[in-house]
Amino acid sequence: MILEANNLTKSFGLRKAVNNLSLEIPNGSVYGFLGPNGSGKSTTIRIMTALISPDVGEVFINGNSIQKNGSKALSDVGALIERADFHKHLSAKTNLKMLARMDGTDFSAIQKVLDRTGLGDRANDKVKTYSQGMKQRLGIAQALMGNPKLLILDEPTNGLDPEGMKEIRDLVGELSSEGITIFISSHLLDEVQKICSHIAMISLGELITSGKIEDLLRDSEILMTEIHVDQTKKAMNLLSNYKWIHRCDVKEGILRVSLVENKISEVVNILVQNNILVSAIIPKTSLEDLYLSKMEINRKV
Amino acid sequence: MLSLIHNELLVITGRWRSYIGFIGISILMPLILWGFAYGSESLQNDYARGFEGSFMIVGSIINAFLATYIIMNALWIHIPFLITLAAGDAVAADGSNGIFRLTLIRPVSRLKILLSKLLASYIYAAALVIFCAFWSLGIGSMVLGTGDLIVIDNGILILNETEAWLRMFLSFSLAIIVMCMVSTLCFMFSSMVNNGIGPIIGAMFLIIVGYIIIAIPLDFFRRIEPYVFVSYFNVWLDAFKDPIPWILIGKKLSVLITYSLLFFGISAFVFLNKDIKS
Repeated sequence: MILEANNLTKSFGLRKAVNNLSLEIPNGSVYGFLGPNGSGKSTTIRIMTALISPDVGEVFINGNSIQKNGSKALSDVGALIERADFHKHLSAKTNLKMLARMDGTDFSAIQKVLDRTGLGDRANDKVKTYSQGMKQRLGIAQALMGNPKLLILDEPTNGLDPEGMKEIRDLVGELSSEGITIFISSHLLDEVQKICSHIAMISLGELITSGKIEDLLRDSEILMTEIHVDQTKKAMNLLSNYKWIHRCDVKEGILRVSLVENKISEVVNILVQNNILVSAIIPKTSLEDLYLSKMEINRKV
Repeated sequence: MLSLIHNELLVITGRWRSYIGFIGISILMPLILWGFAYGSESLQNDYARGFEGSFMIVGSIINAFLATYIIMNALWIHIPFLITLAAGDAVAADGSNGIFRLTLIRPVSRLKILLSKLLASYIYAAALVIFCAFWSLGIGSMVLGTGDLIVIDNGILILNETEAWLRMFLSFSLAIIVMCMVSTLCFMFSSMVNNGIGPIIGAMFLIIVGYIIIAIPLDFFRRIEPYVFVSYFNVWLDAFKDPIPWILIGKKLSVLITYSLLFFGISAFVFLNKDIKS
């Protein structure tokens, strides 16, 4: 494991932002960190990067405790925490030089990371002339200086247009193929499913689930199934009456039902008995479905 | 550490606010020097009246040394305000601008980062005092010339030119230490909040309260005066006493340095335990 977080707890006043949270991030993985707003994602990431001290618990990066030996633990880490904010009155290059001095990184790395993030020709421009997307890319550039083994990205696609999001996604893919472990928090579940090998979901500061995405989707109790029927509206109205069906909707003319796996035959029976023709049953649980059902279950609990 | 100080100096020199002090001095000093050069007759008469019966004055006693001595007497209350303009931002601005999210995640200890910020503030404070000296002594000596320095303070002290240069050097060096102490005070407030204005107001408030305490001759104020750091700010004046009261200077400096260490200790405690939430 490149990162291990053990029993992290952090309170702000009476509110517990993170509650007994433990995570293990395998080497070489692209690890998605999911949760609704206010779930404690940012606090957890700030604890992992020594910006916030936990009340209880410890984070180890490559075996070094962030809380006890922060400098050593952080020497393998590059991070972009939320918005990328720089000294606006200085150029991108000067900003990166300042950070390189702190890392002890050679200045020759600066142009490389700027080129890599598509800012090579704007290196000498002041940051105040940059768009939000460019600042975000500069944020990733600073995270890449010093060849980190672990890259922590907190909402890296915030403020980016679809093209910018794709660039970041491609970059994450590239970095991952180079063996860099990437820990990424995002609201964009589709993005996460495309780029991540592992995920953890948290809600109200507590871990809901974690593991490999394919394992989680396979082992999920709740399955999203696409059922091709001849009368979608009638089918939806019919199935909505059953409490054991978690969700039932129609998307692009196809009935989508969220239910427990062993109930599929029962659903088909209901439809057929009501003279609805079933032409195909396709299990299609997406990360979004998994996320929504897990959050729904957690809310009910 | 040097590279961290370099970083901080880049930040300070990049902020327009840092130049307010230099611009202010550059506007004020020529005016004062012009005043000394062309309107010093009454000042010369006031001074000469003090010597009546003791000395016969030949020529002008107004020169760069006397001008500097008078300017420093007038400005030692105001220079601290200019000093706080940079120190107030030292830590707070990085918090409010989100810079800590980039710097504190790097393999450098927070204490080193804090210390580099403080030392950069000291360099700024020293630069401002030296800039003052450059105007009053450097440009002043070109405009007003040099000569003996006559100081009237519980008696008359006449210092020849060579001695006057040395006393001025000592005086400005002591002034730098005082201003570094002001920086540390403002720095302490800066490490506690996330905006640069609060520390400036906080530091100036304490300094003004201190000035009031030492200015009003009440018994109660006299009793607490030894504990008011502002009452040691005038240590630079001791450079113009004869003989130079080294023990007194040493005592005053040790009080100022103790206060500085205390303020920095508080800053370090706050900063090392600070959660970066913004």
